[in-house]
Amino acid sequence: MKNKLTPVAIILIIIPLSLLSLSINIRSSDHKGYTRIVFEGDRGFEYKYDQSNRGLEIRLKRKVELHKNITYFSRSILLDKVVHQLDNDKSVLKVHLRSKFKIKRNFILERPFRVVFDLVKSEEEEIDAEPEIKENVNENQPRKKKRELIETICIDPGHGGSDLGAVGSLKTLEKDITLKVSKKLKQLIMSKLGLDVIMTRNMDIEVSLNSRVSIANNQKAQMFISIHVNSSFRKSARGSETFFVSLKATDQEALRLSQKENKSFEEINKIAGDDELKMILWDMAQNEHIKESSKLAEYIQNELNILLHTRNRGVKQAPFRVLMRAAMPAVLVEIAFLSNYYEEKKLQDDGFLDDVVDAIYTGISKYIYYHNSMYR
Amino acid sequence: MSKKIIYTMVGLALVFFIGSLFIFLKSSTDSKKKPRDVLDEEKSQELVIEPEFKIVNIFFFTEESRFMKPIQYKIEQPAIKQELYKKFLDLLIKGEENYITPIPDGVELRGLYFIEKKQLLVLDFNEQLISKFPGGTTMELEFIYYIVDNICYNFKEVRMVKFMVSGNECKVLSGHIDMDNPFYPDYRYLRDE
Repeated sequence: MKNKLTPVAIILIIIPLSLLSLSINIRSSDHKGYTRIVFEGDRGFEYKYDQSNRGLEIRLKRKVELHKNITYFSRSILLDKVVHQLDNDKSVLKVHLRSKFKIKRNFILERPFRVVFDLVKSEEEEIDAEPEIKENVNENQPRKKKRELIETICIDPGHGGSDLGAVGSLKTLEKDITLKVSKKLKQLIMSKLGLDVIMTRNMDIEVSLNSRVSIANNQKAQMFISIHVNSSFRKSARGSETFFVSLKATDQEALRLSQKENKSFEEINKIAGDDELKMILWDMAQNEHIKESSKLAEYIQNELNILLHTRNRGVKQAPFRVLMRAAMPAVLVEIAFLSNYYEEKKLQDDGFLDDVVDAIYTGISKYIYYHNSMYR
Repeated sequence: MSKKIIYTMVGLALVFFIGSLFIFLKSSTDSKKKPRDVLDEEKSQELVIEPEFKIVNIFFFTEESRFMKPIQYKIEQPAIKQELYKKFLDLLIKGEENYITPIPDGVELRGLYFIEKKQLLVLDFNEQLISKFPGGTTMELEFIYYIVDNICYNFKEVRMVKFMVSGNECKVLSGHIDMDNPFYPDYRYLRDE
């Protein structure tokens, strides 16, 4: 009797529980001519949708569970993010898009239950309608460099091996902190953003500054983040700061030269015979990314200020050797001061390091959103 | 009148005339000389005060602020300009009590060269600058701009400073700032109170 009742009891408990919770997984893919977004439920659900200029609002008749309240689609051409909100205890999924769009088709698939939207960029149709005019405009204007979606990020844990970096009064080593933070950051970016992450070092080894930047350039990384821990002669100095490279005297001279001659750096490079000028131009690899680097530094520093509650030392510029030759947006993050006793204690706490990683990750995500929203 | 009396009177008149002439000539020479002497004296006073000492302001770091604070010094001015720079650098390296000197212990200046055409001062430090540098971006910036800002602030003929170590090019101090090129001053580190 007892044995017969047990499965019945389990079913009676499970059925109402399963009716209460609904889990939805969201994914997206770009196809020729359209972008597909799929909402996959662990069971069926009812929905309604409204369309606005740059958004799609999907209203569900119940509350659902999502892995994250905001899902970013940094690699998608059309899709930006999906935000989950509650309205009278019912879920609303707001789909944010990068440009005006049209719904090509909407349908439901079973086993598993999926709601599918195929979306097309409405601007593409306008371009197709007037191809000749667009071509004429392009001929008269300087050609803009093609922007690429960010797919690969290079993380550079500062120092390593016999190069200890800064050493705290409690014997905390900069090289250990930078490696720990970089590994955590790599994990977070790969799992949440689905991007490729390369590291300039994965273990306690010495890597030269030139090799670090060569790794990033050769792997065609689209972002370079160097992680460091600061130190000052003033023991009271504290806080976090994010740097991007500053133009040096020689760079400014070459920049002036290139402007005067009305030639691109590449053209000057072809003409230049002497090694000195070539070296200057090589040093200038970061020049064309300065604006983007500044933006990236700003996003990261803002998040560090919010999440860490450390003193805001702001975004700064300095001629960092590791950043100068990076042919991509590049920043150097100084997490906190090892020379400050209280901040050294914080740096020994894994919870604080997790907060640091979260802050840098959020800054990177926001920059990717900004970068991709400029992508056309 | 006897001849003797006449000779005596002529003699006295001659002595009187020569005496008067001597006194006149002497007084006219004195009156011409006096203003020149006064001028020379004034001029020599100028030369004594101005070239012998130079008033300089050296900015130091403190625990209380991230800006440097100035202290005034009077340096005896040598005949050769480079010796003056050397004396100034010695003051920077020595530092000041109760202030922070962002230079590692044991660091010494081996030599300096001023390239007038480029308004560039080249400083050559001993090997301790690299081997004893504690590390950290801010430490490097504090060292660089403590030297560069102080020199360029006090010697207007110097527009930029280049660092060398043991007679060789210095690439980095402790793995952050590129030291290949000369530095212009960054007066954001100074606070003139």
